[in-house]
Parts: sequence; structure tokens; C-alpha cells
Amino acid sequence: MSPMNPSLSLALSAIAVSLLSTFGAIAAVGSGQQAVIDHYVAAAKASDPAFKGFSADRGKAFFLAKHTANPDTPSCSTCHTTDPKQMGQTRVGKPIDPMAVSVSPQRFTDLDKVELWFRRNCNTVLGRECTALEKGDYVTFLANQ
Amino acid sequence: MSSVPNDSPIADGSREAARVIVWDPFIRLFHWLLVAAVAMAITTSLILPITWLGWHLAAGIATLALVAARIVWGLLGPTFARFSSFVTTPGDLLHHLRELHHGVARRHRGHNPLGGAMILALIAVVVAIGASGTIALGGALKIGPLAFAVDYTSGRTAWSVHQWLVYGLLGLIAIHIAGAIYESRRTRENLVRAMIDGRKEARRADITAPPHGSSPGLATVIVAILIVGIVPAVIVMMRWPAAGVPEHPLDKVYVQECGACHVAYHPTLLPAATWAAIMDGLAQHFGENAELDPAKAQAIRTYLLANAAEHYDTLPAHAFLQPNPADPLRMTATTFWARRHASLSPQVFSSKPVGSKGQCDACHQDAASGRFSPLAIAVPEETPP
Repeated sequence: MSPMNPSLSLALSAIAVSLLSTFGAIAAVGSGQQAVIDHYVAAAKASDPAFKGFSADRGKAFFLAKHTANPDTPSCSTCHTTDPKQMGQTRVGKPIDPMAVSVSPQRFTDLDKVELWFRRNCNTVLGRECTALEKGDYVTFLANQ
Repeated sequence: MSSVPNDSPIADGSREAARVIVWDPFIRLFHWLLVAAVAMAITTSLILPITWLGWHLAAGIATLALVAARIVWGLLGPTFARFSSFVTTPGDLLHHLRELHHGVARRHRGHNPLGGAMILALIAVVVAIGASGTIALGGALKIGPLAFAVDYTSGRTAWSVHQWLVYGLLGLIAIHIAGAIYESRRTRENLVRAMIDGRKEARRADITAPPHGSSPGLATVIVAILIVGIVPAVIVMMRWPAAGVPEHPLDKVYVQECGACHVAYHPTLLPAATWAAIMDGLAQHFGENAELDPAKAQAIRTYLLANAAEHYDTLPAHAFLQPNPADPLRMTATTFWARRHASLSPQVFSSKPVGSKGQCDACHQDAASGRFSPLAIAVPEETPP
């Protein structure tokens, strides 16, 4: 076998490192959450063939964004607080377990439950259903928190 | 106190009358314990909020026990403790009043006819207060030995009777004190002191009663038999299921779905029409979308309507039947809710351990049972950070 061209070797290493880090990130997401994310990947691809993948950063921005549909609940963070590792509180005052999967490992493992709460809370906060892209970004963000 | 003229009908011939025991130790102890128990019962109901009900009941039970012992002692006690020494006919009462009016009434060493009538009236009213209170407790609050038997409406009636009898008792107490002061001045002897050390002057012209020895042993045995008979009976009766009180735990699906955001409000707290309206409007549920899986929604609706307020007899099931027309779905908008929580500062509801007015179970420890007993209220203190 002939010795590898150094620049090719460097490029391959860079690809390997980025692949590994991607795997690392995926490895950090539990299998239950991954199944939910996979569901939204399929849904996002179905609605947009150009879909490139979910982004935790977009999910974070969505989580913190202020909306105008409902002045009592302008944002996800109204009830869940701006720190997803903290306990939240419903408007009645009942505690909500943290959304961050590192603190609440059972989060985003039951697709029916996830869908129920997206339907309710998107309608409440945004006045509409959320898109598969928004849901996937949201779960990706919190699954890595 | 010995400067009574010799020609007076209350007079004593000697200059220094001997002070003899008139009120035996039981009578004195009874009198002052009764004062304490009645004062506590009145303070814990007319002055303090209903969260003091436990102390009110303790005071009421003590009052009834004291009066029961007094009745036994009225049959078996010494001379002046006996009913026979002071129970008179209406004719004697009028005669005594006429003598008082003309200033010729002689002094009674024990109770005079008016005092005796007062003792009987006080005992009768206290027993009636205890009876009406027990009926009210059983019917309106579903607590105590009569909870199995009395319906809510009868309980509320008994509650009114209980209150009016207490105002009557306060009137009798005022007259009793006025009478003691009047007689103390008339006979130049401190009757309050006599009820403390038991002694009154033995004056020559006194009207006394036929001397009687007491039977403390027999009295103790009778009181013991009463305790052994009544206490277990009351305990057994308290174990009988209360009438019209929900017995089953909350439906699991209801608790899981509705209890996710707020207290799973007991179905008996609202009438069926209100539950139906709530279930019809889950897309706009107090400003939030709370839509359910249709199968679960149907199951929860069936459960709520089958267990709505109309089917039960608890106080909350009756109290929330009248919604506030301006905000018909909200329990905390009713005048009943506002009146019952008026003594609490608004900070209580915004405090961290409570959260909001809708968090019933923050203070009502039996909220999940639908009973909302005053005995189960504990307002949490906000712990400093």
C-alpha cells in the first residue's frame, strides 16, 4: 500500500473527527428520545425534501422566543422557565418537572405524550400547531440539555 | 361584710358570722372549668377562623362532660349541690321575686330560687347547644357520631339553631353575672369569692336546705359507666360511613390527564352542567388549549358527570352549585369561595408553597377526597430562602 497523500490524510482525519463528534452527540441522546427525533426526521423530510437535520440552537431560540398569540403564555419559557434544567410551574402553580433530559430522563420517550403536549402548548402559545421542524429542533435542544 | 343591720331579713345576729362550706370542691372546680371551656368554645368559633374547629370541638366535648358530671352530682352531691335544694316551683319563684321587690326576701345559703332556675336554664341550654352542634357537625361537615345519619340541609338548620342558642347562652351568662353582683350587694357578701373558696357566712335568718351527705363513690361509678358506655358508642358511630360522602378514590385517567396541569378537582365540587361546559371547551380551557385524546375525553366526561355535585351531600357539593354568572366555570369566582377565603391575605395564594387560588390541596389536605373538612386545613408557611 502506497503512503497516503498528507493533505488527503488530514482531510480524512477531519471527517473522522467530525463524524465521531456527531456520533458522540447522538450517543448522548437516549434511545427513547432518538425514536421520537427519528419520527420528526421522517415527518420533516416528508414536508420538505431539502430538510438537512435538526438544530439544537434553533430549538433553543424557539424555546426562548416570545410570541404574540396569547399574552398570558407568550413563550415556552413562561411555564418551563428560561433554564430547562429548572423546575417549571403551570399557570395554576403546579410544579412541572424540568424539560432537560439530563435532569428528567423520561422526557420525550413517549411519542403520543410528546404529540399531545405539542398540540396543546403550540396551540396555546403560538395559536397554531407546530411544524415537524420546530418539534424536532425543540426535542433535539432539550435531549442535549 | 358583717355590717348587716339586725332588723334586716338577710341579717345575722352575731357580729362575726362563721364562714361555712357551701360549695363543695367539685362544684367549684366544675364552675370554673365550665367558664374556661365555654370561653374557649366561644373564642374558637365566634372570634377565630374555622381552622380552630378542632379546639372548638374539644371545648364543646369538655363542656358536655362537665355538665354530665354536674347532673350526676346534682343527684348524689352534698346539700347545696343537689337539685332538690334549689329546684323550685314557678310559684316559689314568683314569691321570691315579690319578696325581693318589697325588700323582705330572706337570704338563701345555697342558690336562691332565681339562682336555681338559672342553673337549670344554663344546663338545659348547654346540653341543647351540644346536641345541635353534634347534629350540625354530622350533617353539614360530615364529621362526628351523627355523620352517618344527618343530611346536609338538616345539618345547616341545626347549625343555625346552635348559633342562636349560643347567643341565648351569652344572654343567660350576662344575667347570671348580673344576678351574682346584685345578690352580692344585697346580702353584703362576695359571691364570686364564695365560688372560689366555697365558703359563705352562716347567718341566723338564712334559708337552708335539708342536709344531705354526698356519695362520691357512687357518683364516680356512674360517671365511669357513662364514659365506658358513651365513648365506645361514639367511636363506633364515627366509623359508620357518612351519608352522601364520596368514598371512591379519584379516577386514575382523570388524575393523570387533568392533574397534569392543576389539582384534579374533585368531581363533587361542580354541578354536572358546569363539568359538561368545561369538557366542551377544552380547546379554550381558562386561556389554554387542554384538548384530550377523544377516548380519554369521553371517559373523563362520563366520570365527572356521574360523580358531579348533584349526587353527593357534602358541604362543597352544595356550596358550588351556584356559579358566578360572570365567570361560570371558575370555583374561585363564586361568592362562597370568596367568603370562605376572605380571612387570608392575597400573599398566601402567590406564595411559593401555594402558587395560586386554584391549588386547593396546598392547604386542604383532604382535597382529593372532596370532603374539605375544616379539620384538614393547614396553610403552609413560606420558608425563607
